Amino acid sequence: MNPLIRTPKRWLGMLLMLLLVMTYLSIGIGAVWIGPAGIFEYIIGKEASGQAYIIENFRLPRIVVGLLAGTGLGLSGAILQGVIRNPLASPDVIGITKGAGLAAAAVILLYPGLPVLALPAAAFSGAALVMLGLYVFAFRRGVQPATLALIGIALGAVCQAGIQFLTIKFPLETNAALVWLTGSVWGKDWTDVLMLVPFILIGAPAAWLLSRKLDVLNLGDDVAEGLGEPVQKARLSLLALAVVLAGASVAVVGTLGFVGLIAPHIARQMVGNRHVYLLPASALTGALLLVTADSLGRGLFPPTEVPAGIFTAVIGAPYFLFLLRKIQKS
Amino acid sequence: MNQTLHRFKTGTVIVVGILLLLASFTASLSIGAYAISFSEVLSLLFSPDGSKASSIIDTIRLPRAVTGIVIGMCLAAAGAIMQAITNNPLASPQVFGVNAGASLMVVIGVVLFPGLGAGTLVYGAFLGAAVGGAAVYYMASTGGGMTPVKLALSGITIHLLLSSMIEGIVLFHETSTEDVLFWLAGGIDGRTWTDVNLLLPWAAVGLAGAGILGKPLTTLGLGDDVAQGLGQKIGWIRGGAALLVVVLAGISVAVAGPIGFIGLIIPNIIRKLLGPDYRILLPVSALYGAVLLTSADVLSRFISYPGEAPVGIVTALIGAPFFLYLAGRGGRNG
Amino acid sequence: MKKYWSYIGLLFLVLLLAACGSENEGEQKESSNGEGSSEQETRVIEHEMGETEISGQPEKVVALEFSFVDNLASLGVSPVGIADDNDEARIIEPIREKIDDYTSVGTRKQPSLEVISSLQPDLIIADMQRHKDIYDQLSEIAPTIILPSLAADYDGIIDSFQTVSKAVGMEEHGEEVLTEHKETMEELRSQVPEDEDRTVLPAVVADSGYFAHNMESYTGSLLESIGLKNAIQSGDDRYNKINLEQLVEFDPDVMFHMSSGDQTVVTEWEGSELYRDISAVKNGEVHEVDRNMWSRFRGLISSEKILEDAVQYLYEGQ
Repeated sequence: MNPLIRTPKRWLGMLLMLLLVMTYLSIGIGAVWIGPAGIFEYIIGKEASGQAYIIENFRLPRIVVGLLAGTGLGLSGAILQGVIRNPLASPDVIGITKGAGLAAAAVILLYPGLPVLALPAAAFSGAALVMLGLYVFAFRRGVQPATLALIGIALGAVCQAGIQFLTIKFPLETNAALVWLTGSVWGKDWTDVLMLVPFILIGAPAAWLLSRKLDVLNLGDDVAEGLGEPVQKARLSLLALAVVLAGASVAVVGTLGFVGLIAPHIARQMVGNRHVYLLPASALTGALLLVTADSLGRGLFPPTEVPAGIFTAVIGAPYFLFLLRKIQKS
Repeated sequence: MNQTLHRFKTGTVIVVGILLLLASFTASLSIGAYAISFSEVLSLLFSPDGSKASSIIDTIRLPRAVTGIVIGMCLAAAGAIMQAITNNPLASPQVFGVNAGASLMVVIGVVLFPGLGAGTLVYGAFLGAAVGGAAVYYMASTGGGMTPVKLALSGITIHLLLSSMIEGIVLFHETSTEDVLFWLAGGIDGRTWTDVNLLLPWAAVGLAGAGILGKPLTTLGLGDDVAQGLGQKIGWIRGGAALLVVVLAGISVAVAGPIGFIGLIIPNIIRKLLGPDYRILLPVSALYGAVLLTSADVLSRFISYPGEAPVGIVTALIGAPFFLYLAGRGGRNG
Repeated sequence: MKKYWSYIGLLFLVLLLAACGSENEGEQKESSNGEGSSEQETRVIEHEMGETEISGQPEKVVALEFSFVDNLASLGVSPVGIADDNDEARIIEPIREKIDDYTSVGTRKQPSLEVISSLQPDLIIADMQRHKDIYDQLSEIAPTIILPSLAADYDGIIDSFQTVSKAVGMEEHGEEVLTEHKETMEELRSQVPEDEDRTVLPAVVADSGYFAHNMESYTGSLLESIGLKNAIQSGDDRYNKINLEQLVEFDPDVMFHMSSGDQTVVTEWEGSELYRDISAVKNGEVHEVDRNMWSRFRGLISSEKILEDAVQYLYEGQ
């Protein structure tokens, strides 16, 4: 028995602390350095060196977008892994982010003149279309988690083919699309925060309220039905929730990978399998990952900005090797 | 009676395949920016006359067509072998992370060590193919048996991981973005006799090995217990087969980039037509792999005329919906 | 119930930050507008993202794409900040001579907003394709104009030069510079004989392929403007990856190669009979040109330099 599993509440508390510390430090990281003392001065309203403008207009909105999108992606991954009953499921893997990516690439490359809001709107619709595809191909056949995963991967492959076609057809413009396709919170402002807030504020508590359903689904279809859970309906509503959370996040930050896959894994190591703890832990871990990745991207090579999506992959790779070894041992 | 019918069916599939290959081969020599008619192609092929058309065929289109045929064979054979050893219809160089692994190594070589020659890059591609494939194999086969779902999930995860590393490299070297993007789609345009010379020995080794493995692979399909009962050394067969996959897929990626879906589509169709006897399935898959890649290459010349579109785009546009179809069947055989 | 409350706490924090942030945003906007209106003369500049009011003569200008650096240098304005991809060598010699030291604001893809704002500029010039999404934030830092650069041809470059000169309050000086530029161009054009019927082909030559620029591309349209016809007059893409056989088919009489790296497809092709048979190769009219100058900078100075290069190669070498 791992002694840590017995105190999921303490783990949650620690995660929250860690996230707060990271957020606090992150305010100071960037092309213009602000020490922890300076941040404190800013918070109590005594900042005098003129850095308040940078903090309010560039740092904070980025950090908040990072927190929100990390929460959305982490939750979405945890829900999908529960619904598909496979620890490798995530919004990247089952095609949701690829759908958003295809729609976004089409807007960036084919209709560069559209207003700024068209991009997140298209990305969200792209994610929703993949959901529709999942419904049409998987649910009508009496959905099995296995079918769902396979169809998702295949839909992702279809979208990927489309993205590749577009980037090859417009090689010059692709540079502009590539940043979005990697995923980044660079240049996000309060408008983006406002766009994302309602989805996460409604989606996150909703997911948490549904955590019992996820526990029940994990017992297998027969047991779940025996317990009086309408399996198909539960699966559909959870899946829709996962798509909304991931779709909204991706619409704002781009097709940022690995957060949705890794955050639930790290969370599971700490708090175990009960979704009532796993969901908030995944959300906190997702937020922590994204804020850390962005801080690194901002602070390592100023004034060059490295997209956060690169760092989530860089953090993701070693963790994955670790996971691989662990699975092999068991 | 049934036996005769099956033999007749096999014969027909092979003859049709050869005819299709001849047709696409001729089309590949004839169609392009510089128009050369079919009859001209045929006469110039056997008696080159030093004219412009003749040297275009000799130096540009012929090596390209030969590359297409050989790589089509390699990819389809690699896919068939992988499906045999994993007993899983979704196995293929692309789903298995083999292509992505080889690509990552080649991109690292091209972007970070521009001095390396193509001959050295091949070994990098082999290494990458082996690492990518092994990673997916271990992830997918843990926890009792490799189901199609576990394979697909592990494969796509490793694929995403490797390709985001490639993306990172590309983002930091903006000057080479276009180059790498074209290469990553997979293409055989502009391949020369030098490439063919690099490709042929490896492909010959790989394909010959695949031919030898036909019988043991068929036995393997009956299940591990039966195969063991029949005196097969399962471990050796699996190991040898994996080595062949690394060679076949690695050399393809090194020469043409990660062309996707051929190893997935072709063996599945052929298995449905002719059944799971790998002594027939392997060579026929190779034949149709060549047909698919050569005709996709002809189609690719029309996509962004007068420019070149990589053939990988065409195979992806055809292959992804086929993948969807397979997935809809839950990844079951037949 | 601890985790429950901590979660609610996090959401609350987020809300709080969001609320106080949007408040501050409002204040900031007002104050920056307030400063601006104290100046005397105010101009309205129309650009891709609408209209921007600029007053007085901006002194601290930030340029987020190389072509705008060229525009500013032609006007004698030295930008305080440039998105130079953190590599000063990317700024071509004739332009670097004309401008003072500047601060790098990072990559053109993702310029650092923090550095831009700490420079306290009074004008920002950004590119339509790359920077459309951050227009609002740039506008809060300073009046911002968004112009097409990445997607522009030669006429588009002239248009954006005029906009830039209006924006920096140098419309008249801009006209003079433009007249001068047109004279230079006219002079260059006069060196091209009326009956010039050779076709030219500018191309980026890399290890992985030959990327030809057609008549609508920036370099292509520029060469056409002085009467040098592009060898590729078709295709909906301005940049095409072509192979040897297509090159043979287009058969350009003059080729300008912007090489990236020593080992390129052309090194491979040089051994081939077909390549040696292309008119440009046969006549010794294959010219190596500087890729930075020929394709990365798009502006008046670099246009002149490109054409000077071209004319020199075509007519003075003989």
